[in-house]
Amino acid sequence: MTAASAPISKRRAGEALGGLAVADPRPRIVDGRVAGWRCGACGHAVAQESPWCPNCSAGALTPASFGPGGTVWAGTVVHLPVGHWKPPFALASVDLDDGPRVLAHVTETRVLPVGSRVRLVGGTQESGASAGDGNDVFVEPEGSGS
Amino acid sequence: MTRPVGVWGVGTSHFGRFPDQRVETLAWEAIGEAMTAAGVTADDIDAVFVGTVFGPPGVAIRVLRGTGIGGVPVVTIEAACASGTAAFHEAAQAVASGRYGTVLAFGVEHLSSLFTGAIVPEATDADGAAGLPLPGLYALGAQRYLAVHGATVEQLAQVAVKNKAHGVRNPRAHLGRASSSGAPSLDEVLASKMIAEPLTLLQCCPTTDGAAAAVLGRARAGDVRVLSSALVSGRPWDQRSDEIWGVAPVRRAADEAFSAAGVEAEDVDVLEVHDAFTIGEIVTLEALGLCKPGEGAELAVSGHTALGGRQPVNPSGGLLSRGHPLGATGLAQLAEIVWQLRGVAGDRQVPGARIGLVETLGGAASGMDGNAAVVALLSSDPSS
Repeated sequence: MTAASAPISKRRAGEALGGLAVADPRPRIVDGRVAGWRCGACGHAVAQESPWCPNCSAGALTPASFGPGGTVWAGTVVHLPVGHWKPPFALASVDLDDGPRVLAHVTETRVLPVGSRVRLVGGTQESGASAGDGNDVFVEPEGSGS
Repeated sequence: MTRPVGVWGVGTSHFGRFPDQRVETLAWEAIGEAMTAAGVTADDIDAVFVGTVFGPPGVAIRVLRGTGIGGVPVVTIEAACASGTAAFHEAAQAVASGRYGTVLAFGVEHLSSLFTGAIVPEATDADGAAGLPLPGLYALGAQRYLAVHGATVEQLAQVAVKNKAHGVRNPRAHLGRASSSGAPSLDEVLASKMIAEPLTLLQCCPTTDGAAAAVLGRARAGDVRVLSSALVSGRPWDQRSDEIWGVAPVRRAADEAFSAAGVEAEDVDVLEVHDAFTIGEIVTLEALGLCKPGEGAELAVSGHTALGGRQPVNPSGGLLSRGHPLGATGLAQLAEIVWQLRGVAGDRQVPGARIGLVETLGGAASGMDGNAAVVALLSSDPSS
């Protein structure tokens, strides 16, 4: 296969990856911050939907927002096509300030250094040669963009 | 374990891309070899545990149709890359507890009819929906490891050089028999196509079809013994996690397995571990206790884990060379260790191997440190 051709799958790939629609599990940016939850009992921050606090199992989760500032846990540049994302595109795992760790597309196609400061943004930014579908989380290196 | 468990026989298919084969035909190769080695017929089998990720649904019973095995309990287990090892674990525990007498475990996968390239991420998973492929997950871990421990890309690549050199000696390996020019050099591994920085193509396991099987029962004279096996699932992996993804479950399973077997990491003569990507073998050996965190990157470079070294790791060629037919992998790893402990591993035999270890890590549900991990310790018959 050529580098840019979309992978074929018999698996439930989802609309964004060329399959049928599934309910979107991705964290979202709302009003410029990552929308998640925080436990009322232990204070644990979560980015993924959960039935109750996965840390203490006791507390109820209430909506909370995090970031947009954070620190890179690790970054990479992917050279495979994945769904509508054409290679190369960059991803980073980011620890939001006082918030959860989230995966985000990087607006510049380079490996973001571990420990570097970043800011998360929403919208339909570009990651490599592709743009998001409006529901992706993007990361901008600090000092870039607007 | 309550009753001493023996591995009566093991078997595998060849590994590769087989468009003319179905999951059934691959499984029959493996099951037939295992039953012949065990000296059992279909009527002897009391229960069957099956490991597979992509099935298809019904694959277990469709395989058994051709074998004469039927009517007995058949349980299919999905634990991602550890599915086959989990099937083995359940079979061993069932024999140990006396629930069943003679148990067949097999794993099978036909990936080449499912994916044209890398496994497509799961759309119901948050990181999968965001477009993170499995090599990307391991690449993030590798970048973190390089930054924290000051390791080098050459150290990562050396794991592939080692395992592909081993694989050349394995006539059933996906990339073994195809390597007419021999194993790649360090420069060739580093110069191969970039997949997810810093992991190049030759540091990633291929997409492989295959099957593997084992027959277990009460240990008899001459049987390879199951000293212990441990199966754990994932725990949250989030902003509190200092370790890279996939390390903690292996350590939890290893601690349990070593404690139950009464042996130490330094006692192990030969290992088959989950090297789907080069970084995986490095951090797995740290989690197993072969060395301290940060020192795993040197084990392939020093020759410690190469054939001829103190503790050879992945003499079969590992997932990097044998290939990674998900559900089959754990039982293929088991088969290699059993052959090693019986002294019948041919050109890749570890001389005098008496204690062996199998480790498999399954992933990758986002937000968890793994889906499942299995660590098993085996020995040659202590009386022989």
